[in-house]
Amino acid sequence: MTRCLGWVVLSACTLVGSARAYGQEPSEPQGAAGAARANGPKAPLSAGVAKRLRSGDAALIKGALDEVRTSGKAGVAAAPTIIDLLRQGMSTALTQAAIETLGDVENESASEVLGWYSRHRSVELRRSAVEALAKTRGPVAVRALRSALSDSDAAVRGFAATALGSTKAKDSVPDLFTALDHNVPEASAAIGELCSDNDCQRLAARMGSIPFDIVTSGLEEVLLRPTSEVSDNAKIDVVERVRGVATAEANRFLKGVQKRWPARGSPRVKQSIDQAVTATSAASGLRRTEDSP
Amino acid sequence: MRAPIAAILATLSACGGGAGNTRLNLFSTDWEDDRGVSIGRVWQRVAQSTVARSADVVVGILQQADAMVGLPLAAGAEKWTYAHPLDARPVVAGSLVVASGEGEAFALDAVSGRLVWKHAAAGLRLIGAGDDGTVTVATFQRTGAVGSVLLAIARDGQVVLQTESDKLLGAPAVLGRMAFVPWAGQYVSVIDLSNGDEAARVTLREHTLRAWAESGSLWFGEQSFLRFDERIHDASLGRASVARLASRDLPGTPSLLPRRAEPAPVAANAEDRVRLYARPTGGGSGAAIEDARYYATYFRLAMGFDSGAAKLAWVHVHPADLLGGAAAAGGVVLCDERGKVVELDATNGGVLSEATLGQPVRSCIVSADSARLSGRSDAKPLVQQIEEAVTVDDPALAAGQKILLRELAAFADASVAKTLIELASDTRTSPDLLVDARAAIAKRRSGADYLETALKRHYDYLRDVLRPPPVGPIAEALGAMNAKSAAPLLAAHLTDPNDTEDDVKRAAAALMVLAGPSELPAMRQFFGMYRATANDDDMAAAVVSVGQALIALQDKLGRVLVDGAANDPMTVDYVKEHLAEPATAAP
Repeated sequence: MTRCLGWVVLSACTLVGSARAYGQEPSEPQGAAGAARANGPKAPLSAGVAKRLRSGDAALIKGALDEVRTSGKAGVAAAPTIIDLLRQGMSTALTQAAIETLGDVENESASEVLGWYSRHRSVELRRSAVEALAKTRGPVAVRALRSALSDSDAAVRGFAATALGSTKAKDSVPDLFTALDHNVPEASAAIGELCSDNDCQRLAARMGSIPFDIVTSGLEEVLLRPTSEVSDNAKIDVVERVRGVATAEANRFLKGVQKRWPARGSPRVKQSIDQAVTATSAASGLRRTEDSP
Repeated sequence: MRAPIAAILATLSACGGGAGNTRLNLFSTDWEDDRGVSIGRVWQRVAQSTVARSADVVVGILQQADAMVGLPLAAGAEKWTYAHPLDARPVVAGSLVVASGEGEAFALDAVSGRLVWKHAAAGLRLIGAGDDGTVTVATFQRTGAVGSVLLAIARDGQVVLQTESDKLLGAPAVLGRMAFVPWAGQYVSVIDLSNGDEAARVTLREHTLRAWAESGSLWFGEQSFLRFDERIHDASLGRASVARLASRDLPGTPSLLPRRAEPAPVAANAEDRVRLYARPTGGGSGAAIEDARYYATYFRLAMGFDSGAAKLAWVHVHPADLLGGAAAAGGVVLCDERGKVVELDATNGGVLSEATLGQPVRSCIVSADSARLSGRSDAKPLVQQIEEAVTVDDPALAAGQKILLRELAAFADASVAKTLIELASDTRTSPDLLVDARAAIAKRRSGADYLETALKRHYDYLRDVLRPPPVGPIAEALGAMNAKSAAPLLAAHLTDPNDTEDDVKRAAAALMVLAGPSELPAMRQFFGMYRATANDDDMAAAVVSVGQALIALQDKLGRVLVDGAANDPMTVDYVKEHLAEPATAAP
């Protein structure tokens, strides 16, 4: 136990004000403790979790992390301690487990330290950190995710693109277009989730220069978004562009959207989709997308 | 004195008009060195003869090896073309271009391209030739046979002498109707063309495969220039007039003259692209190098060196591979595979003039014995010339660029740092050159601004920055310069996963010298992230350096981190072992 005295001192210090301990000003209520108070734990963790996390014993720490993970958002009370553990450093296996736990806790205060690990030399840790950042959200997470779009690992780039879509980081759309043009296919769906009318039409205009299935992974998101986010006119423009391709793939895609069209969806867009399905049905057996101009 | 005869000399009936001579034991190997007596007599005999200057001309062999195009270098001269299949590279001998092909040997006037003589020479391929204005002496290799054929032909086409030897004869010269024939790498036999006798022989201490006339003297040699002058009788004692080029490391180990006594191939090869050129002159000491310059080519690079100290004087980057050339007074004339001819200033490598043969060539021959190159050139300073040469994107030049990089590194100019960084950051730079560029950066003691600017760059997939800057070498250089302003930039690289482990290690070492309070957060972050996850000794060493820097900076939080790590079983062993050691600062 004495060998971990330094950590205990540091942990005590950081639990009081972890941000200050790492050279930053404390920023309550953004801190984990503040967030925990705001959200309130849904199910109490066992009393010994914090102690085990601070034990310095790898097996005890792993067990405690597992307990926090299984308690979901209720584990938020342990987030500051886990964050401190990651700041102090642990073995790669425990680091991985801690990152995943923070992702499961879904607390924004973890974004900063997850951002650190999204640039670790271990690609596995980077992938885990980026996946966790998708859940912790917040501006710090978005900044780290945008940076991760430039990672040397394709999977990290893909996870980052997907995460940016799910975190509704609209400011990242220009970066996502750059990523799409740099062979990050996941950027298409993310753009589809985030784009404005103009950006959605820009995405549709990529048909021909980017494989059809990649572009349509984004266009599908566009068409299924509410009218409050993407106008009917923009959606109809997208449908018309797909219809213009007039291939079997285009027909299949349009049929898929037709099938999932929400009952309360825009009748105008629905009508456009129906017409496009009909128009492309005739050609569907004749041409493949690759043959189109 | 009459030389002993041992070798078989055959008279060929083909020699017309009874001009052929039968002489036995010519080129014999049981000859005893006469200590320069016979060659001294020859010198006395021809000392007053004028050695005619050779023509100033560039001759290109066209792509099908069935024609030559000549470009006299004199202003206003017309190009000429002569169609004739060739089986060996022609040579310029005096005022003639001598060639062989399709069973004939022939000579053209170098200025006009007009046929001067022609002789049946079935199975003979030209090795070399000399001409003194009245007679041409040429050596040939007989196809499928060992040995050589020596042929002397007068201007009217009459064969003066034709003889065969089982020895490999080198390229001959002629003066005062005496043929000077090098052979066996160490002898020059002088054959009196009036009677076919071997009038003299000299043993040389310089490897010799060629004899030729240049700058008003006769010369023998291969990798040096031995002058035929009043000191020739002491040649066997190693006291002849000799001019040598100061040796130095050069790409491709170029040779001054071909190293074999055999016909040069019609098409230029690597040896032609990697060559040395120098022009010998008679001087007070007997022999010297014109302009105190020699020149080297390496594919598209041409370089000028001080002939005494072998110091690089200039470098010229050419658009195409250089296939041939000749040193002239005032510079060097070079021709390239596209048929372009360029004259470069001996002093600074500036382009004095450019001309063209009009079409691509398979090889080319240059003679510039009379011309004095002059004119104005706009050469850049040497540093800029080298910077341009080392950054040319051409993998074939890598070996040359490696040597030039060493030259560049010797300059203290701040701009050198910028060039080295460009090289080290460019994904197209060859691995060999990259290693050298990085090593040179580490030794820079100027150009800190350029080095710091480079550190601002990081790997960035979306912005197509796919090779990070050479962080480690830059860190070493900036550490040695005590450039504190670089500390935040180096700290930012600690956690860049795209830098190599070695780079991170060196950045961390430099931070031991350069870091201040503002770098503490980044250093704490790095220490925490890697003290238990460092996967090799370089990363572990970086963690140790950063830990020691945190302590040296008396950072309380850092001290807690380091102490905790020292006692934590999760901390990697290397870190635990070395954290307690006294800090050893980077350069």
